[in-house]
Amino acid sequence: MDKYDVIVIGAGNGGLGAACKILNSGKSCLVCEKHNIPGGFATSFVRGRFEFEASLHEFNGIGTDEEPGSTRKVFEELGIADKIEWIQLKDAYHLISEKEGYDYVMPFGAEAFAKASGKLHPDGEKCIKDFLALCKQIREAMAYLGETKGKPDPQVMMERFPDYLACGSYSVKEGFEALGYPKVIVDNLNAYWCYLGANENNMTFLHYANMINSYITGGAAIPRYRSHEISLACEERIHELGGDIWFNTEVVKILTDKEGHVCGVRLKDGREVESRHVIANCSPHLVYGKMLDSEAVPERAIKLTNFRKLAGKGFTVFLGLSKSAEELGITDHNYFVYDSSDNVAQYEAMKTLENTGAQATVCLNNAYPDCSPEGTCIVYMTTLFTDDAWSAVSKEDYFKTKNKVAARMIKRFEKATGTNIHDHIEEIAIATPETYARYCGHPQGTIYGYESQYYDGLMNRIQMVEEDRFVPGLRIGGGYGERLLGYPSSFKSGVNEAGRTLRDMEKEGR
Amino acid sequence: MAFKRSNVPGEDIRLAMEMTAKRRQLIDETPATPLVYEYGVNRLAKALHPGFVKAVIADKTPCSSDCVKITLKLSDGGEFPYFRAGQFVTLSCKAGDSYLSRPYSIISSPKEALAGKLEIMVQRKGIFSSFIIDEAPSGTELWMGEPSGDFYHDSIRDRSHILAIAGGSGVTPFLSMMKAIREGSEDFRLTLVYGARTRAHIPFDPEAFKCEGVETVVVLSEEEAEGYKHGFITADLLKKYVDDDTSVFMCGPDAMYRFVGKELESIGFDPARIRQERNSVGDREVDEIKAFRLTVHIRDTVYELDANNNETLITALERAGIPAVVRCRNGSCGFCHSRVVDGNYYIAKKDDFRRLADRKFNYIHPCSTYPESDMIIDIPIMNP
Repeated sequence: MDKYDVIVIGAGNGGLGAACKILNSGKSCLVCEKHNIPGGFATSFVRGRFEFEASLHEFNGIGTDEEPGSTRKVFEELGIADKIEWIQLKDAYHLISEKEGYDYVMPFGAEAFAKASGKLHPDGEKCIKDFLALCKQIREAMAYLGETKGKPDPQVMMERFPDYLACGSYSVKEGFEALGYPKVIVDNLNAYWCYLGANENNMTFLHYANMINSYITGGAAIPRYRSHEISLACEERIHELGGDIWFNTEVVKILTDKEGHVCGVRLKDGREVESRHVIANCSPHLVYGKMLDSEAVPERAIKLTNFRKLAGKGFTVFLGLSKSAEELGITDHNYFVYDSSDNVAQYEAMKTLENTGAQATVCLNNAYPDCSPEGTCIVYMTTLFTDDAWSAVSKEDYFKTKNKVAARMIKRFEKATGTNIHDHIEEIAIATPETYARYCGHPQGTIYGYESQYYDGLMNRIQMVEEDRFVPGLRIGGGYGERLLGYPSSFKSGVNEAGRTLRDMEKEGR
Repeated sequence: MAFKRSNVPGEDIRLAMEMTAKRRQLIDETPATPLVYEYGVNRLAKALHPGFVKAVIADKTPCSSDCVKITLKLSDGGEFPYFRAGQFVTLSCKAGDSYLSRPYSIISSPKEALAGKLEIMVQRKGIFSSFIIDEAPSGTELWMGEPSGDFYHDSIRDRSHILAIAGGSGVTPFLSMMKAIREGSEDFRLTLVYGARTRAHIPFDPEAFKCEGVETVVVLSEEEAEGYKHGFITADLLKKYVDDDTSVFMCGPDAMYRFVGKELESIGFDPARIRQERNSVGDREVDEIKAFRLTVHIRDTVYELDANNNETLITALERAGIPAVVRCRNGSCGFCHSRVVDGNYYIAKKDDFRRLADRKFNYIHPCSTYPESDMIIDIPIMNP
């Protein structure tokens, strides 16, 4: 068959979610993936006797079997929930921030988190309860907006959600200033900043509060068999529903007809496949800059894309260690190791190759002891570069530069935790922005799509989602989408764009 | 709780309501300059990982009784990708009715590759090596995969001294490493202990690579000669070259790994400090050779062929002339990752480098998998 109702470009989280949604509605769908496996960053790789998780630190919105979270509900609707086995994480994180001397573990759960905050400051427990109540109001307001399809009763909004209405323009910094919490409590609540990679001036308060509320109250989980399990679960579902997925298949052109409507795609080998609808799970920079003929791209699409900011460039060191976590003294699953809790200063410092002062490190065995052979463990540490510093590295210097940066991160972790891991490295792999650019084609090797900016945050993007599309028949979903980056967000973004595509098709049919 | 920034009544809500209008205005004010989607990072990623490219055989030079040095040039005359000394490239081409691919370690140093010349060593072993050595004349065009593999010195993982143990054409990655040390693109010490039957079986000049930080010891098992050790690569010999800062790298036949592995164990060498380059997965012993029907889907094309239970699936695919992707041929790189739609198969534990989820959802690497029934598989299309 050379004609499909919908073609999905890219089998990342967003593309897989989109394809499952389209196929569940009974439409035909082809997924074209440039790489030889699905998942994009949601994958794993084997070195020697270790299988490394490529990107996932923890997955929020899963909840438990009894109390499923919002993402698990999406998985259930798509028919993939039963294909994935989840392991719940015990603690939220171990925060170590050198400048302030922070070194403590925070648990998951509203009560436990509030109680632990009470140990950081006499008002800590009260602040967290107060904060989580605000988050509840925000969540309910968003649900109400969803129910009323963006046309809420202003009276209801004023009465039930006054704080939600008030903070719509707040950055994280402005939000916490308005709340007036002690510094130590704010620093703690800001610990998750590296997951979104935008500093407190650019991160919108509503978005950030919503995310940390999901972590604190709903906890987090990881799939038993790495994120590759999620990707293969989706692929299996696609086959079950009669969809096609072609690997090693790069789409080089999105084709449009005389009216400017999408009419198909051209593959790298020249073959063309027909479709009136394309969902691109890749960078709009590529879609508007390269994949569409320039005549098909309105000027405003170029302006919008130039307006966006490419987010953090990823760097990860994967280590297979020949001693157990216990022997090495690595006690927790999830570490945030910061030079300072001043995330604005930290963000600025991370523009150069000389600073890796914020790292998120996972010891997988502390969530899942059997993830590597007995007497070994897996540790991976991730940081971001907040500017395009890696573009200046020459090929002759590349291997040395990546080892230099990786060695510094390992030392930093050892110093923070008082451990020795360097002497027990049996396997190492290092992913740089070049690596991320290679596998997923992202400009500059960004792993976080478009960074949250004061005027390009979650709420603005959601409200303007229809205004931000330009080519009939084409929608763009995934990590660059309206929900911004992260596993649940990119997945749901793809599902949402598929839902909008189905509505487009319905309108067309009428 | 007083959750507000402004004390002016309604001010916060007004600011919130203005957010979209302000964004719209900022987009309006952004210039419509052409989008930049390729940066230095993206260009370097492409330069290091171009995928399969076309190369031609420029020269063939015999270097021992059974090894030939092959010089490659890129068809477009450009530079080869920069790589890590110790890596391999996969060559593939049509030979008769078959479509064949084999991995070969690189002799050249990383800087030599930038000069547009790449040398590999081919040892006479089977159908493809015979084709390259005897039948493919200079000028023959092949597909060449990008340099791959993790058999290289890593300054974080490995010690500053490598005890390199090799036999046959297994010396190749170490020749590249010695050249890299000499030209300054690598910084570690290397002692090569090479085992051969006689001097005629040595495919390199042991004197040619001498430099500071590089030492070469050749052990002959069937000949006594001045300047050479006699016997086998035993614990007594290895002890001399092991210090506190040594990692062992081995490249050669599996029998050598078993023998030397035991010798290293006897002197208490930490197995986590030993790396072996993996060999291609070959035929297996079976009680009775059986042919099964193999149905292969590549995108929307379907092929039917016979596959013997003593041969890997990739061998059957190649013989049938089906362009099947493959790179390492030892089960580890995952390049040939394929879906089993139906059927039974066997993978030796030592060759099973699949991900856990691959096992759960029934995916295989055809280069390390033998059929045990009729099978239906879905394989990715060949890249070039």
